[in-house]
Amino acid sequence: MTPIDDSAPLDAAELVDGVPVDELADYLDRGRTPRDPRIEGSAECRLYLQALDRVTRLSHASLEREAEREPDRDDIWITGLLETIRHEVVGGRDIPVGHPDPATKLSVTEAAARGLVRRAGDDLDGVLLSSTSFDGDVDTAGAPVVVRVTAAVRYGLDLNAVADQLRDRVAATLGLHTELAVTSIDVTVDDVWLPGDRGTGAGTGTEEARR
Amino acid sequence: MGREARIASPPDSTSGQDAPPAQPAVVATTAARVTLPRAAAGTTPRPARCAAPRPIAREVDTIADDPLLDASDGTLATRARDGDVHAFEVIARRHGPLMRVLAGRLLGSDVETDDVVQEAFLVAWRRLGDLDDPGTLRAWLMRIVGNRSIDRLRVRRDHDDVDAYERPAPRSEAPDRQVETRLQLDAMWSALDKLPLDQRRCWLLRETAGYSYAEIAQALDLPTSTVRGQIARARVFLMGEMEAWR
Repeated sequence: MTPIDDSAPLDAAELVDGVPVDELADYLDRGRTPRDPRIEGSAECRLYLQALDRVTRLSHASLEREAEREPDRDDIWITGLLETIRHEVVGGRDIPVGHPDPATKLSVTEAAARGLVRRAGDDLDGVLLSSTSFDGDVDTAGAPVVVRVTAAVRYGLDLNAVADQLRDRVAATLGLHTELAVTSIDVTVDDVWLPGDRGTGAGTGTEEARR
Repeated sequence: MGREARIASPPDSTSGQDAPPAQPAVVATTAARVTLPRAAAGTTPRPARCAAPRPIAREVDTIADDPLLDASDGTLATRARDGDVHAFEVIARRHGPLMRVLAGRLLGSDVETDDVVQEAFLVAWRRLGDLDDPGTLRAWLMRIVGNRSIDRLRVRRDHDDVDAYERPAPRSEAPDRQVETRLQLDAMWSALDKLPLDQRRCWLLRETAGYSYAEIAQALDLPTSTVRGQIARARVFLMGEMEAWR
């Protein structure tokens, strides 16, 4: 292996068809926009861009592959991590729950109520809840509360029907576990995924359609 | 004085295997509530130029048809921000392995990487509220693990002999292992291994963690012109190494 001489002067003026390589790298970083006709018009420059793009992708892919090499390696730190953050879940406001004994105060935390709503939504086929919020004085018994949820829904489902089902389930769950005076349940569908597309939602593609 | 009872944690924050409670489940607790520190809003990460990650279809602690395994990063981040620990677990399993490898390459050794990644996720959990666009979760996580790794480097510089860490034996340094049949990704991995640490750090912070030149300069305490030079050298070297694989 040839040792790499870190101190050797790098020819900063290295050119590809008259264009400094630094400039080509920056151009690639910008996603080749705005289009530079001087670069795009040069076969040499395009070749260089192609090679550089390939190297950056391979660089990333080689890390990805290494990451997959020890599939069980991460269980240890993930277990420790979850242990810690479970203690850090912010309970939020206390939602009072009535009790016959006036000396006993019962409450459900906002976070727990959110969890109940999420679970109710997730039980619907083709629905994944994202955010859940309660607007109103949830800590005052009987005060009107508006529940707002956002959801990702599988493409092809009737969104109005889904929203109605979701409202029914959320209302039923909150009715069973809390005494919130829910006046309305607002459902916002902010993401849709394709049935054959399961999993690709992990990327950033679907987020572009958000909001 | 009245007794107080409250459900202290969301019921879906565990493994997800419990059936929904038929009765209101109220748990007596005196646990103090913890307020999460909110850090100042971070800068918008430069999107990393790389393919979207494949979700990791593993079943450790999760049921096979767990719908969250297919959820978008945006959905998971939003749920985690709402206190959904399981959503955060899915995030950690999806992105943690790459973050661990990145940390190892930045640090030049594999010894502390689990700690660094765990720290990075703790920071992420506590700062989820700062993530303006949950869809950029991955780039955001890469930056956090980059920052944590650099913090470690600083500690080393302050307390240790830097040289002791500068030259880890690359996995494939021995010439006789540079055989013709090596796969392209192996070649790339070993090319990255051969880079001097500073060049490799600059390259990976730029290409994988999405740092700007100025941010790398600040993080590594180098002039921006030096960072540009390091990345230019890395580029020349890596392109040369991979020339044979075109």
